[in-house]
Amino acid sequence: MSSNETAPTSEQIAADARQAAVSDEIAIEFDHVTKTYKLYKDDKQRFASIFWGKKKRELVASINANDDLSFRIRKGEAVAFLGSNGAGKSTALKMVTGVAYPTKGTVTVNGHVSALLELTAGFDKSLTGRENIYLRGQALGFTKEQLEELVPKTVEFADLGVYIDQPIRMYSSGMKARLGFGFAVSSDPEILVVDEALAVGDKKFREKCYARVREIMEDEKVTVLFVTHSSSAAEEFCQRGIVLDHGRKLFDGTIEEASAFYEAM
Amino acid sequence: MSTLLNIIRSQWERREQIFTLAMFDLRKQGRGTVLGPVWLFAKPVVYIAVFWFALEIGLRSGSGSSNGAPYLLWLMGGLVPWFYIQTMLGTGCSVLGRFKYLVNKIKFPIAGIPTIFALAEMVIHLGMVLLLLVVYFLFGQPLDAYLLQIPVAIVLMFVFFYMFSFTASLLSAVSKDFKNLITTLSTPLFWLSGIIFNVYDLGIQWLQVILMFNPITFIATLFRYAVYDKMWIWENPMAIIGFAVVFIAMMVAMVVVYKRTYEEVPDVI
Repeated sequence: MSSNETAPTSEQIAADARQAAVSDEIAIEFDHVTKTYKLYKDDKQRFASIFWGKKKRELVASINANDDLSFRIRKGEAVAFLGSNGAGKSTALKMVTGVAYPTKGTVTVNGHVSALLELTAGFDKSLTGRENIYLRGQALGFTKEQLEELVPKTVEFADLGVYIDQPIRMYSSGMKARLGFGFAVSSDPEILVVDEALAVGDKKFREKCYARVREIMEDEKVTVLFVTHSSSAAEEFCQRGIVLDHGRKLFDGTIEEASAFYEAM
Repeated sequence: MSTLLNIIRSQWERREQIFTLAMFDLRKQGRGTVLGPVWLFAKPVVYIAVFWFALEIGLRSGSGSSNGAPYLLWLMGGLVPWFYIQTMLGTGCSVLGRFKYLVNKIKFPIAGIPTIFALAEMVIHLGMVLLLLVVYFLFGQPLDAYLLQIPVAIVLMFVFFYMFSFTASLLSAVSKDFKNLITTLSTPLFWLSGIIFNVYDLGIQWLQVILMFNPITFIATLFRYAVYDKMWIWENPMAIIGFAVVFIAMMVAMVVVYKRTYEEVPDVI
């Protein structure tokens, strides 16, 4: 924690509480992780790569979205990933959620991950909001009992009124985001991944979201990864910051130092 | 081998979800309609009626079997599995794109995605098989052991076209050429696989041998032996050998393609 001498604000008290909630167990570990995206010269080369070893093909470039990235996050920590566009934040989070594989190195994740990656993606337009919650819960591997608890919780949080039983194609973008956020925070995650998702909805809903994320973070078992360009949002939630640039880790330390480092970049 | 076990195990662990997602997919197809499930069966039934009219009444090419089974049963024996196969060739070869959110938004075994689709289609197929059996018994055909070849055919068809759909959709995620290739081949396959003509009456020896390596012909043959010809498939050993060869080749292709592409697919889809 920072050592400034000012009188403790309510935020600081909350921050101290979060600090105390960190345990020694490792929630996420990146061990020399490199993720390479291959950009083929054209579709022909991509096609040929299936048959004749991937290495021989002509590449326009091979981009290391994450380059020899190593860090450990303990259970209960709240960590912000700071960095400009293309720094590799989202790629790292994708590997945490398990939808992308590292090219080199290993990613270890202990616990159920709930990701707020592109909240509105993955809804089925022809199904209703309620069905989509159910469907997503199913796909994530929730049991029946968990689903019975999760669905009403999400419905209540999203607060969509009669729209909850209407097909998603009738929703506005804000409504979709509310449903997606409602799902992510209601599913009792052990690891919550927030990818600038809080910038959704109107002011009232945003406040509700912030309050809920704060509540989740006070739980000592929950690890939060927060991805953002803006250091002010990060400072509100996190106590640790990791600054990424071009896939490399440039800085890892307290959130105040990290955001100062990021601002100076 | 371990890759194959991996493909099976990853699905077995998620069997309940796969089943629920399949039922959702089925329900989705009936969305936006009042008649819902009726439409799932309307198209195949109309097809059968039209083909029956054109072939038996129009062209007068239909004839009953020596043991009194009507031509309609022969025709349905080919068309009923064909409808399932057609869907697996068509949508089935880009099924990963259809369930994109399961590939790159949610951690889900991609091997299970074709199963979701195949199960949903299988429900429709079982409905059609039921219809086939209703027609079969309405014509006063006997309940005998030959009919046991139908469940065998269904299982073989399910597994084979699962492997096909998984392989093809991995490939078409990487390159759209595959999808176009299969879509282009769908209609020729219908006319060349002996769905509406009798492969065994051709009298051209070499062509008959080639067709024995066509899995679509094999499945249709199994259905027809059960409801029309009243024969056992092992009375035609060449068909079994041909199908076994293609089946194993398909399995090897699936494992190789899966190994080569599964890490890349979420990035490119």
